[in-house]
Amino acid sequence: MNGWLGRLFRKRLAEKRLDAELRFHLEQRVRDFVASGMTREEARRRAHLAFGGLEQVKQDCRDARIENHIQDFLRDFHYAFRSLAKDRRFALIAVFALALGIGATTVMFSVLYNVVVDPFPYRDFQRAVILEMWDLTGPRETEARFHYTIPEFLAIREQNHVFEDMIGNYTLDVLYTDGKGGRLFRGGYVTPNGFDFLGVPPFLGRIFREDDVKPEAPFVFMMNYRLWQTEFHGDPKLVGTTFFLNGKPRTLVGIMPQRFNGYNAGVWLPLGLTPGADGTVFPVKDPDVIWAMARLKKGVSLQAAAADLDAILRRLAQANPGDLYPAQFKIRTRTLLDFVVGDFKKTLYALLAAVSMLLLIACINVGNLLLARATVREREIAVRASLGAGRTRLIRQLLVESFVLAVAACLTGCFFAYFGLKGLVAIIPRGPVPEETVIGLNPAVLLFALAIAVLTTLICGLTPALHAVRGNLQVRAAGSGKGAGGSFCHGKLRAGLVIAEVALSIVLLTGAGLMMRSFIALTHVDLGFDPQHMLYARVIPAGPDHFEMAAQNQLFFEQVLQRVKALPGVVTVTESLGLPPLGGAGSYITVFGKSLPQHADSMVELCGESYFQTLGIRLLHGRLISETDIGSQRRVAVVNQVFARAYFGNDNPLGQKIRFDAFDQVSGAPHNTYFEVIGMVADFKNRGPQESPTPEAFLPYSITGIGERFIVARTSVAPKSLLPSVQREIWAVDPNAAITSNGSIQSLLAEEVYTRPQFGLITIGIFAGLGLVLVLIGIFGVMAYTVALQTHEIGVRMALGAQHSNVLTMVLWKGLRLISVGMLIGVLTSLGLTRFLAGQIQGVSATDPLTFFAVVALFLAVGLIASLLPACRAASIDPLVALRYE
Amino acid sequence: MGQEKAELLKGTLDMLILKVVAFGPIHGYAISQRIQQISRDFFQVPEGSLYPALHRLEDRGWLQAKWEETDSGRDAKFYALTRAGRKQLGAEMGNWERLSEAVALILRAAE
Repeated sequence: MNGWLGRLFRKRLAEKRLDAELRFHLEQRVRDFVASGMTREEARRRAHLAFGGLEQVKQDCRDARIENHIQDFLRDFHYAFRSLAKDRRFALIAVFALALGIGATTVMFSVLYNVVVDPFPYRDFQRAVILEMWDLTGPRETEARFHYTIPEFLAIREQNHVFEDMIGNYTLDVLYTDGKGGRLFRGGYVTPNGFDFLGVPPFLGRIFREDDVKPEAPFVFMMNYRLWQTEFHGDPKLVGTTFFLNGKPRTLVGIMPQRFNGYNAGVWLPLGLTPGADGTVFPVKDPDVIWAMARLKKGVSLQAAAADLDAILRRLAQANPGDLYPAQFKIRTRTLLDFVVGDFKKTLYALLAAVSMLLLIACINVGNLLLARATVREREIAVRASLGAGRTRLIRQLLVESFVLAVAACLTGCFFAYFGLKGLVAIIPRGPVPEETVIGLNPAVLLFALAIAVLTTLICGLTPALHAVRGNLQVRAAGSGKGAGGSFCHGKLRAGLVIAEVALSIVLLTGAGLMMRSFIALTHVDLGFDPQHMLYARVIPAGPDHFEMAAQNQLFFEQVLQRVKALPGVVTVTESLGLPPLGGAGSYITVFGKSLPQHADSMVELCGESYFQTLGIRLLHGRLISETDIGSQRRVAVVNQVFARAYFGNDNPLGQKIRFDAFDQVSGAPHNTYFEVIGMVADFKNRGPQESPTPEAFLPYSITGIGERFIVARTSVAPKSLLPSVQREIWAVDPNAAITSNGSIQSLLAEEVYTRPQFGLITIGIFAGLGLVLVLIGIFGVMAYTVALQTHEIGVRMALGAQHSNVLTMVLWKGLRLISVGMLIGVLTSLGLTRFLAGQIQGVSATDPLTFFAVVALFLAVGLIASLLPACRAASIDPLVALRYE
Repeated sequence: MGQEKAELLKGTLDMLILKVVAFGPIHGYAISQRIQQISRDFFQVPEGSLYPALHRLEDRGWLQAKWEETDSGRDAKFYALTRAGRKQLGAEMGNWERLSEAVALILRAAE
């Protein structure tokens, strides 16, 4: 009977009674009319006339009750606004603090959701996996192969039991010629099912079909939206026209929508896997160049998939003994999401933890403010209760007040979140975040933050309200409004809250401090050479297949280098295969007459005679590569210290002979050839600033016909100012040569290496700063309140002869004691927690004493400032006024 | 004649009802009769105002309703004053006295 049935029943009963009441009235009236001499008929008519409509009166009776509630509600709101407006400083701080918490949390959750949970526009991308073959015998046990040969790919596709669908792709630049000059587009060769696999419909035209790779099929390709816009002005008539790509005519059949960057390319070409099919012309023989991506069948786990593939590849390894398969390997499947976002997830989670602390600080702050207010208002509440306000009415009023506060905070919070998100998106690193990711405010997250805000205000607003209402109200009204009764325990609670706040803030600050130290360490890493004043350009000579044109390439680069060197502002210039310090090509090696561990490897740099001079690398032994070495393509090599130490031990490096296995697979490179070591140079960073140098060998660039090279120049002026003239010189030699990227090494480092830690640093820095401000407000609030409570006591002390300075130190001391407890807890917690930051920081220990010291010092200063104002107020108390204060 | 009778000031009706009910439990019809009698037919409470007001006051917790038998043996809804209602009546009477005194003062001074 208590559920809806009960309510329905009660409602029916109420209706019946209302009807009975009004009918009773009518009957009485009719009886009186009849008694005064009317006929029954007349009496009935008159009575009904006087009554008006029976139904109307009934409705008015029902409305009267509802009106009551609306009126009360409006009055409560009115009262809430008035009382908040009266205490404007409190209201503003509370709203601001909560809004900060809500805004920051919403921003961080939104980024996390959009990057980690839902970054792609692809169908079922949660089940898309990348296959990795991990070499368990390799030197570092971290070597993995992501590429597969065509036979491997086909075997996996046909024999697996775990995939719904599987695609293969590889990336290779495509030369586009339109008669006016050549341009290089990033080309994505994709098996025809590649677009169906991702499930994104084309913007214009169609996607690839299986027919597109049949031997007699016409050549087709598809285009990226951005390339279409930037290079071809978004002309829709382009679909169906023919382009010259790599010297062959191809028809554009489709353009993908704006939010699609699958296979990361400007143009997509179909990749056929059978001999004679379109797309099977690879630049290297028997390549393992196909990336494989597959979609798991529903319900198949990553481990189950890996086990299935493991069996297939083990059969292949047994059937084809050779270099392709390490003696021991393991297949791992990784989700596409994990592969792309990877470790950045950890950064985001760390920031999420930080923002949660900020939210907690904000909530504590508001709770503290509300508690203080409730203590002061106990008297007001008591007075109102004694004037006849019901208990429920009082509680409802306080609830409405909290609610108004929460709503104001929510609106402001949305505002903060909107702009905060814009700011954060501007600094988010591009690398680990897929291009298609759309980072927007997430409504679910916003709701979550709002719920937290409402809950905070309700709990903090209601607890003291209940406390105030529950007690004997009359007694309290008689007592003092300040400092009596329950406020003592409120005082303790408030101190506890401040301690918690301080501790949280310390944790945030140490986190931010460590990230900052790590960032400074990173940007000040000694690279082994000076990255300032260096420019680079990646140049690809014209020609459909530059591997066959070694001589022309050589001539082209000689001319380009000569012209660039002659430019005013250029000190030296060289060509190179990789771009120091960010890495380059590598190869397994063999050293003549030595038994190296299996899979001993080295980085390989192909360089000109001025390479070492341009970078500023010191020669330690022997000699550098000379012009003659390059001119006569001599098989000589210079190695770095790590190389010599790792592979020659204590033997003299000079005269050793090294063979590079990778060259055996490159046409136009010397196969099965040993290179004689002629010199040893000092180490410099060759795998990025964070990694220690790895073995590297430097060879004359003329030994292969590889056409793609970097031009690296040391300049005496700002490198970027020279870029236009460098470009001009390159095109002066050959207008069809393509420049795929250029810039200064310093800005490349900033983009490639610094953006990620910088993002973390800025974000956590902002959170820590905001936290600090909130805590400052919190400490100030508690101290000011304590001083207000003790006005009488201070007055007595001063009347008894205490000096201003005594009072000042007394209050300051009190403040410091409060802060110190919080700091101690905070530092201990930080020591325990910063371990989890270890992945985010480098070059500095997670318990770096300097950081901890700086944070403690900063906090002491802040704490002093926050207690100084109330202390000064205490010291300036006039004893006479204070004694009359009660 | 009905037109000349004063319109009950809104809010005043509540006070009059509370006052009439203060004498003891009474049903709606009797309340309207009582107000008319005591004011010597000056106030005539229309049913369309009386019953919504009764329900409003009951909902406020100032009146308490109970179904009882009348002298003639019919079941009727009897209203009685609650403690909060008595408090409210006191407050409203105080207000009214102050208001009418003030109005009277002004009228006298204006003569």
